[in-house]
Amino acid sequence: MFKGKPFKVPPGGSLGVLALGNIGIRAWKKAKKEYQESQKDGE
Amino acid sequence: MANKKRKVLLVGWDAADWKIIDKLMEAGLMPAFKSVVDRGVRGRLATLDPPLSPMLWTSMATGVRPYKHGILGFVEGDNNGAIRPISSHGRKVKAFWNMFTMEGLKSNVVGWWPSNPVESINGVMVSNRFQQEKKGKETIDLEDWDLEPGNIYPESMTERLSELRVHPSEITGNLVMPFVPRAIELDKKEDKRLTVIAKFLAHSASLHAACTELIDTTEWDITAVYHDAIDHFSHAFMKFNPPRMEGMDEEAYGLFKDVVKGAYVYHDMMLERLLSQIDDDTTIMIVSDHGFHSDHLRPTHVPQVPSGPAIEHAPYGIFVAAGPGIKKGEQVYGASILDVTPTLLTMYDLPIGRDMDGKPLLDIYEEKKEVKYIDSWEDDERFGGEIVVAEQVDERTNEAALQQLIDLGYIDDLAIKDGQDGDKMREAQLKATVKENNFYLAKSYASGGEFDNALELLLELEDRAKPDFRYLIEIVNASVKTKRFALAEEYINYIRKDKLMADNFLDILEAKVQIGLNKPGEALKLLESATKNYPESPNVLIDLGKILNTLRESEKAKGVFLEAIRIDPDNPYAHHGVGVAAMAEEDYETALEYFLNAVDRFYQYPLAHLHLGETLAFMKEYELAKSSFEVVATIAPSLPKTYRWLYDLNEITGDTEKAAHYKSIIAEFDLGERMVITGLPGKELNDVLQQLKESDRSIFGADDLLGNDLDVTDQEWLKKIKEDLIYVPLSFIGSLPSFYSYRILFVEESIEGVTDFFNKRMKLRAGTFNKEMIQAVERQERVGRTWLNQQPNLDIIYIHQSEELNSALVQKFITN
Repeated sequence: MFKGKPFKVPPGGSLGVLALGNIGIRAWKKAKKEYQESQKDGE
Repeated sequence: MANKKRKVLLVGWDAADWKIIDKLMEAGLMPAFKSVVDRGVRGRLATLDPPLSPMLWTSMATGVRPYKHGILGFVEGDNNGAIRPISSHGRKVKAFWNMFTMEGLKSNVVGWWPSNPVESINGVMVSNRFQQEKKGKETIDLEDWDLEPGNIYPESMTERLSELRVHPSEITGNLVMPFVPRAIELDKKEDKRLTVIAKFLAHSASLHAACTELIDTTEWDITAVYHDAIDHFSHAFMKFNPPRMEGMDEEAYGLFKDVVKGAYVYHDMMLERLLSQIDDDTTIMIVSDHGFHSDHLRPTHVPQVPSGPAIEHAPYGIFVAAGPGIKKGEQVYGASILDVTPTLLTMYDLPIGRDMDGKPLLDIYEEKKEVKYIDSWEDDERFGGEIVVAEQVDERTNEAALQQLIDLGYIDDLAIKDGQDGDKMREAQLKATVKENNFYLAKSYASGGEFDNALELLLELEDRAKPDFRYLIEIVNASVKTKRFALAEEYINYIRKDKLMADNFLDILEAKVQIGLNKPGEALKLLESATKNYPESPNVLIDLGKILNTLRESEKAKGVFLEAIRIDPDNPYAHHGVGVAAMAEEDYETALEYFLNAVDRFYQYPLAHLHLGETLAFMKEYELAKSSFEVVATIAPSLPKTYRWLYDLNEITGDTEKAAHYKSIIAEFDLGERMVITGLPGKELNDVLQQLKESDRSIFGADDLLGNDLDVTDQEWLKKIKEDLIYVPLSFIGSLPSFYSYRILFVEESIEGVTDFFNKRMKLRAGTFNKEMIQAVERQERVGRTWLNQQPNLDIIYIHQSEELNSALVQKFITN
């Protein structure tokens, strides 16, 4: 799942993402931001 | 090939317990953890009393008991007359990160409790307050979630690490669902239980993110990370864990039964990530400070006193280690949380302080490890890091951290209510905190065998105006341990008179005093009554069984201990008790089985090894017996009887060199040889004693056939007897201390002779038949003879009448 392999992060996060630690949290925060921005764009 | 750099990853999971982990591993739900177990060693870490996490994790990091390291309790006074969560300011000794800094090794330390403010170590330190949200910030406001100084060292890492924190309000429903699949049925705003899951999850995610970041981006020799989430999840949700507890609401059980399981599985997922970050040359150690009752031993209610929830803690934490040079698939026995730092030091070939209370776990290594020692790391003046900020008050994170301790039930609610004088309340809270921490200090003294210090402090703390049953229990216990029986009785009477404790519980306490006073009969009555009220308490049953063993009521004792085993199958004391009862009946096969069970469950249990050795000796398994006694000599070197056995057995097996070695050890503590006369009270014994009295030898006890003036509760009773010959009634023969060697003159007497003696004494007609008395005398004789037969290196000679005293052999024996 990790070791350089790409993984998909839902904006709501997942336990698997939290368990990835630094890389998971960064990816999650990025995904959340992108999702929030896309929501804004859609308004 | 050049030696690879030794790296260690130390993972701390507060309250992780083997009973749950084994079940989850078996179900395939903790694959990462299982992979470490399969390629390493596993064992149990004995906790300390009191089992309170900040004290325990500091013992883990320093190798010393709390009364030496100074971290006591969950809260402490600050410099402004208020209280705050326990901090690193109070630690009086060096932790492993300081030792490693002094040695030029790099450490990453994440979340250790307590580690705020952080220290300027060689490496990175992330404090246990790093993940703490601020009080009153239930909604996300990352702009206002700044990280105060004292949380990260070096400060240059602050920005990068603080961005990795997860706020509880960021935890969404789908993150909670794996713990509570039917979470949707609950009102998130109203049901605090979902909020606490979010909080525990956010905290552990933040610490894990910091740890993984440091592993990825820094040079390090050791990375140590601590998570409190398993403990917190367990306190909040273990009551819902299967099997359903009696009286548990079915609806609540259905909703929350998977939370604890979820917590362990989540930790396994975090572990999987950590394992992916390290290579095969890194040693991994996973530890916990205590276990957590998860089965029928779960308490049905938590006492409403500070630290009351600690009643849910089980006495053993976990220990797993895997890596280069570490055995695979083996058990490690006799480990304690105090052994973690000494063991870490051996991994880097660093010396262990002789002032440490722990020992290195050398059994984990495939090859013999040479251990270096120094007197103390405290004398080393090299720089090991220092606290980076001056004491300061951080109100909102302080309040949130304190609130968490209140929610967990570890401390009382501190809220100042309307109409209360704030200053007075704060003063009272501070006073109560200092007192409570001193109580933990006293308990730590007692746990370390420093009963005099414990008692002195407890007597200072005790306040008749505000009696606290916890203090009173400890006072009685410490009084008994220091043989201040009058003081113990005074407190028992005070407690009973003022009704400060339930009678049943007081009976158990009083029984301990009676045991100390060598009044097993009285203790028996009290414990039998207590057992009726606490039939499911293994501790009460064990106390009762011990008394029955003392009274040599072996059959009854065995039944009581087996009942304790039914309730708590892993209780080493119960297994040992069955063994002792079987040994008294000379049933050595059964004794062997149960002593092995006892040492399997608690390796560092000297008496169990001693009795195991004796059993093996009686079974003529001399080499195995020697091994058992050698274990006793290692773990309890001050038991003289061990060396007598080792001397005796090496003589038997013809190992003269070793026999000579043990003889020289015996000579170091041997207070000399004493000549003892014993037997059942009767005409023959009386004649022998009178004849000896008329000789030129001085004799003790010649006119006290029943031993009424003998006080064997006095530890120095034998030392105080100056006469050449000592009469000890057969009923007291088991009280002979092992600091002496003995020659025993046993005067044989028929049962009829004994009954005649008593009949005359009670002015009864000759031949009066008393069945109960005869049975008691027969049992006393059987017990005395068994004891004598089971002693090592004892010279004994039997005579039947006083005339035999004149034989050359007997004369030589008693005058030699």
